[in-house]
Amino acid sequence: MTDIVATNQTILVVGGGISGITAALEAAETGKDVVLVEKRPFIGGRITQLYKYFPKLCFPTCGLEINQRRMKANANLSIVTMAEVTDIAGSTGDYTAIIKISPRYVNENCTGCGACADAVEAEFDNEFNYDMDKRKGAYLPYNMAHPQRYVLDPRVIGTADADKAKEACKYGAIDLDMQEETIELKAGAVVWATGWRPYDAGKIQPYGYDRIDNVITSVELERMMDPFGPTGGKLVRPSDGKEAKNVAFIQCAGSRDRNHLRHCSRICCMASLKQSTYIREKYSDDGQVTIYYIDIRAIDRFEDFYKKVQDDPKVKFVKSKVAKIEEDKASGNPVCHGVDTEGYNRYAEAHDLVVLAVGMEPSVDKDNFPVDIVINQDGFIEPDDANGGIFAAGSASDALDVNRAVQHATASALRAIQIVNRVAGTEG
Amino acid sequence: MADEMKMGTYICTGCGIGDRLDASQMEMIATREGKATYAKTHDFLCSQAGVDMIQADIDAGEVSNAVIAACSRRAKNEAFNFQDIAVSRANLREGVIWVRPDTDEARETTQEMADDYIRMACFEAKHMHAPKPSDEQSLNKHLLVVGGGITGMTAALEAAKAGYPATIVEKTGQLGGMAGRLAKKIPTRSPYANPAETEVADLIAEIEANSNVTVCLNSTVAKTEGAPGRFDVEIATESGSTSTIQVGAVIQASGFKPYDANQLPEFAYGKTPDVVTQAELEDLVKAANGDAVKRPSDGKEISEVVFVQCAGQRSDKEGHLSYCSGFCCNASIKQAMYFKDANAGIDTTVIFTDLRTPGSGGEDFYRSGQQKGVVFTKGVVSEVEPGSDGHTVKFKDLILDEDTAIQADLVVLATGMLPNSGVDPYAAEKAAAAEEEEGEEADKGDVVATVDVESILNLDYRQGSDVPQLVHGFTDSHFICFPYETRRTGIYTAGPVRRPMDIAQAREDATGAAMKAIHAVENAGKGRAAHPRSGDLSYPTFRKEGCTQCKRCTVECPFGAINEDEERYPTFNESRCRRCGTCMGACPVRVISFENYSVDTVGAQIKNVDMPDEFDEKPRILVLACENDAYPALDMAGQNHIEYSAFVRVIPVRCLGSVNTIWVTDALNSGYDGVILMGCQKGDDYQCHFVKGSELAHTRMSKIDDTLQQLNLETERVMTYEVAITDVQRAPKLINEMAETIEKIGMSPFKF
Amino acid sequence: MSDMNVAMVERYRNNFLKEVEHNVEEGDWVKMCMQCGVCSGSCPLGPYWDHPPQELFMMIRAGKREEVLTSTSMWMCTSCYNCIVRCPRELPITHIMHGLAHYAKRLGLAPKEQPTFKFSQHFWNNLVKKGRVNELKLGLSLYFMNGLVEGIKTSLNMAGIGLGMLKTKRMSPMEMIGGHSVKDTKGFHAMLKKAEEIEAARVEKYGKGS
Repeated sequence: MTDIVATNQTILVVGGGISGITAALEAAETGKDVVLVEKRPFIGGRITQLYKYFPKLCFPTCGLEINQRRMKANANLSIVTMAEVTDIAGSTGDYTAIIKISPRYVNENCTGCGACADAVEAEFDNEFNYDMDKRKGAYLPYNMAHPQRYVLDPRVIGTADADKAKEACKYGAIDLDMQEETIELKAGAVVWATGWRPYDAGKIQPYGYDRIDNVITSVELERMMDPFGPTGGKLVRPSDGKEAKNVAFIQCAGSRDRNHLRHCSRICCMASLKQSTYIREKYSDDGQVTIYYIDIRAIDRFEDFYKKVQDDPKVKFVKSKVAKIEEDKASGNPVCHGVDTEGYNRYAEAHDLVVLAVGMEPSVDKDNFPVDIVINQDGFIEPDDANGGIFAAGSASDALDVNRAVQHATASALRAIQIVNRVAGTEG
Repeated sequence: MADEMKMGTYICTGCGIGDRLDASQMEMIATREGKATYAKTHDFLCSQAGVDMIQADIDAGEVSNAVIAACSRRAKNEAFNFQDIAVSRANLREGVIWVRPDTDEARETTQEMADDYIRMACFEAKHMHAPKPSDEQSLNKHLLVVGGGITGMTAALEAAKAGYPATIVEKTGQLGGMAGRLAKKIPTRSPYANPAETEVADLIAEIEANSNVTVCLNSTVAKTEGAPGRFDVEIATESGSTSTIQVGAVIQASGFKPYDANQLPEFAYGKTPDVVTQAELEDLVKAANGDAVKRPSDGKEISEVVFVQCAGQRSDKEGHLSYCSGFCCNASIKQAMYFKDANAGIDTTVIFTDLRTPGSGGEDFYRSGQQKGVVFTKGVVSEVEPGSDGHTVKFKDLILDEDTAIQADLVVLATGMLPNSGVDPYAAEKAAAAEEEEGEEADKGDVVATVDVESILNLDYRQGSDVPQLVHGFTDSHFICFPYETRRTGIYTAGPVRRPMDIAQAREDATGAAMKAIHAVENAGKGRAAHPRSGDLSYPTFRKEGCTQCKRCTVECPFGAINEDEERYPTFNESRCRRCGTCMGACPVRVISFENYSVDTVGAQIKNVDMPDEFDEKPRILVLACENDAYPALDMAGQNHIEYSAFVRVIPVRCLGSVNTIWVTDALNSGYDGVILMGCQKGDDYQCHFVKGSELAHTRMSKIDDTLQQLNLETERVMTYEVAITDVQRAPKLINEMAETIEKIGMSPFKF
Repeated sequence: MSDMNVAMVERYRNNFLKEVEHNVEEGDWVKMCMQCGVCSGSCPLGPYWDHPPQELFMMIRAGKREEVLTSTSMWMCTSCYNCIVRCPRELPITHIMHGLAHYAKRLGLAPKEQPTFKFSQHFWNNLVKKGRVNELKLGLSLYFMNGLVEGIKTSLNMAGIGLGMLKTKRMSPMEMIGGHSVKDTKGFHAMLKKAEEIEAARVEKYGKGS
């Protein structure tokens, strides 16, 4: 870690999701020195936890494979995982960032053979699958994790499992003495790409996410569809494992709501339209989907996709914000109550499963941001001259879908290059 | 190659390879059969010691071509990253021991698998050369920006700020484009409450003050020749004079044309001047110059304004746009505010079906509109009935579920945008395909901007004068992860020509496109490929003596990289090339090759497996797998210890489009019992990152049945599949199914 | 049509939304509704409303003045506040409902046979006399508000409860004669009168709100 050489011509990218990756690669491939700092043990961010992208219904790991290959091939780019920026001092063209690196307990020797995982017995909630299943105390976060290096859960350190892992590794890759490290990096410009987190559905009291088993979130559904996910790719109900054929989607679960997130999260309409195809993919004509919405925001070309789903007789659209969900104790069915506002019809619809299209909450720590920056009331970073050489990229700047996040991150890379080129005196 | 080839084979015995496989036998095969100069074994090859061992041999001049027989080519790249030598990787871990059971009965076939991979890697390495940049490269930091609207101006300025000079070519006599026509814009900064200044004037002033930006007004691009790093652009002025500039990359910001509202007679457009489009309302507001806008028909005070959303949009009706233009909801809110801010007593009603004001700013702006008293009604307008004093807007109120009407002094139609994207090189091809599919049904509602199509770029390319279009005339790439990738390297489109968008997005888009253009010139300057094989130094060359001028390569290249010279020989433009090898796959006489990827590098692997005879009951199955999706899927199958047949030999290919049918016929002739091609999804939602590769492979393979019949072979022996990177379980299944098929239909008669 | 009703129609021509904004308590929130319908779905008495709140808001915007003001719907509100808590736009829906009811009553358009309306009137009439609610009289007047026969029936039905209350001294039969009052009845009436004057002046003047 400590061998990273950074100068005030280096671009520091904070966050290794699709936006951070894009900004880092565009800059590095243009010849700039880039350091990418990622909090999790692997890069890729939220997209690694998605089953498919809208509107193409293609797989996020496909583009990620290209990006990971680009990263492996690029000597200008250094990646630091399990790291967080705790402080940034200085000004445009001359920043010093303090980075806290948590111990992985596995060093570069790791070959990814998996012997440590076989040896360790302790299991923990699997955050990659939103705690819907368990993973080992020594683990590779997911199949395509890059760096392809195992991680030891800090909770096994000091237990017999830790020694078992160490013993199992023939390559001296397990280092139980690894300590938290703090490093200082110079940078001319910073790209802030810390992305988003799903809104805490438990806060939406009437929807009973924390009380009703068969009420799940949209991000959980993505994990369930993955053959390597918590249900092995089966679309079943958490309560009883029964096939979930009649599925409801509740839009604006936490978005466009002054009690929760004031902003429209932009992605959720398309996400639910996309997910409605999952139900049809799994159960074809036995699948039945109801989408409860306020406005379907399938903007620009996405309209084509919306139309395709609308034409599906098995998908019903109800203009209504569901008032509450109650559980039918006998069947475990969640029952949605509300009013179809188009013509005033009350409903009490039972479904096998209800999916809350949860909103996007920016992962921008408003109260504890490492440097002075302009943050708007929704928690997103505003573009402002006062931000100096610090530029938001992707969903740190607004609720964006992947395509627009990449577009935005590409622009942010140029903004950072403008600064470091000015430092280098090559801006002409 | 002048230098003598020295091949070193390095076999790793770590990760269980040594326990499961006979390394000394593999060493022997490498030197005896693979003709390696030497073979070395290491029990932890990716360790510093292992890497140092290899590096020492390289430094000593002992090795020019190396075989790393260890884990997958996708693993440990940081360790096995050797410069200036050709490296082939034999995948003994993910590709052999991890997909085979650790049992006594499996041991022999597993070892055979590994032995073959050693042979294959040796023969691949033998035919590889370390790629070196060609002489074609040059660094030209100058960018061309076509279009002087807000997108073009932003792109030019942002590039200039990074030290890349730009020339803007603008067709009209002034900068500003459609944004210049606006009175105000939708706010782009918090608190997103009021219409904001367009900043067009500021941008123009900034451009005039920037010595790195040159502006050519009343000008068009008459001709674009060359490739990234060396484009020659002929700029023609209205007066007829021309000049030529050299640029490294091109940004096409040709914007949009407003939808022709004359196609909306039901809304009385053209019947009364009181029905206007959003763009025309901007004109009225600007003309009023701060005073109240009066009713166009008679100059009376306006007291009621109705906005009709989705006018001629989101509709299957003939002449309507099927898509949503995205900006119009916010635009109507902004325009309603023009009236409300001037006089709160004026009634403004927006009739919409879905109010689309996404994101952080959108919802705030919507709320601000409501706060100011703009009324929003969910409904569908059926007709505007002109009257002598005000007009009647008839609509169905979807909430109150009734047909009703509202009076209006002024009706504003929220009509959409049509991309100004030039001539689609593949329009004829697409039309033919659509017709074949199902008459007119296929293209219903898709009224592409056929309004006076003029070329924008006048590319002197074998494949048409402009950037290919996706749908509805937009030049979007259809790659979610890579939105800027057009199908013409070094040419990036930005703004509403790419997809419908508002000013805020267009400015972001312009900045991103400028980044990509800079990326392109820097990489072209170093002879490196742009996306998706970024950094690749290899490029195609051809043996002119063998070329029959059949033109398949020039026609099939998905990126229009290959032109034809006067004698109809192909001229490869290295920096236009994406290095997918589709040309190589297309060439019937196999004269096209890359330094490290050729008909020989793959062909030699195919031919040099050990082929058991017919009575051995050990069939051989060849898998040619796309290296970006199918191959990783098989790797991950290994990671998860999903077993598949030991009779298979997998060769990664850059793209299925690079698969030359000779490989398949060679395989069959040399006794393979089955061949599987695994590529990406093709069709409208193509996932092939070389756009056409997978599709072309499927077409080529559809013709292989004849060959099979000639050879008296069952057609089931050759299968082509679309395999995604997530098909971790399916890909092994496809292999096992082929093994079963062969068991059923029997071994190939072509064994020696 | 009451004079005031005529005056309002005159003042706002066809713009009922503006009329509501100006004259109804919290009426200026009506324009902020985005028609999600969560209020309508959240109302425990929802099924009994002819027009749930969100629909009333749309009707106001659509200028359905007569239908809204004569509607029984807003009289159904029991102030449970479910709608306010859930409204994503934080509209004070409960208050708007009461505001609408109040306004309709003021204009003389409120549905006279609506039970809440009737109860409210009885309650008020009872209260203003002495400044205290006379529960016995209020109870009886409610029993008989729908006629003599029904009043007797209801009284008989409630007799048990009444006796129980008498026994436990929760109700005094003495209340029938006079009943208790605030200390200064005269002052109380003066206060009410003053309040009425202020309200009338404000209604006359109206700029905004209520």
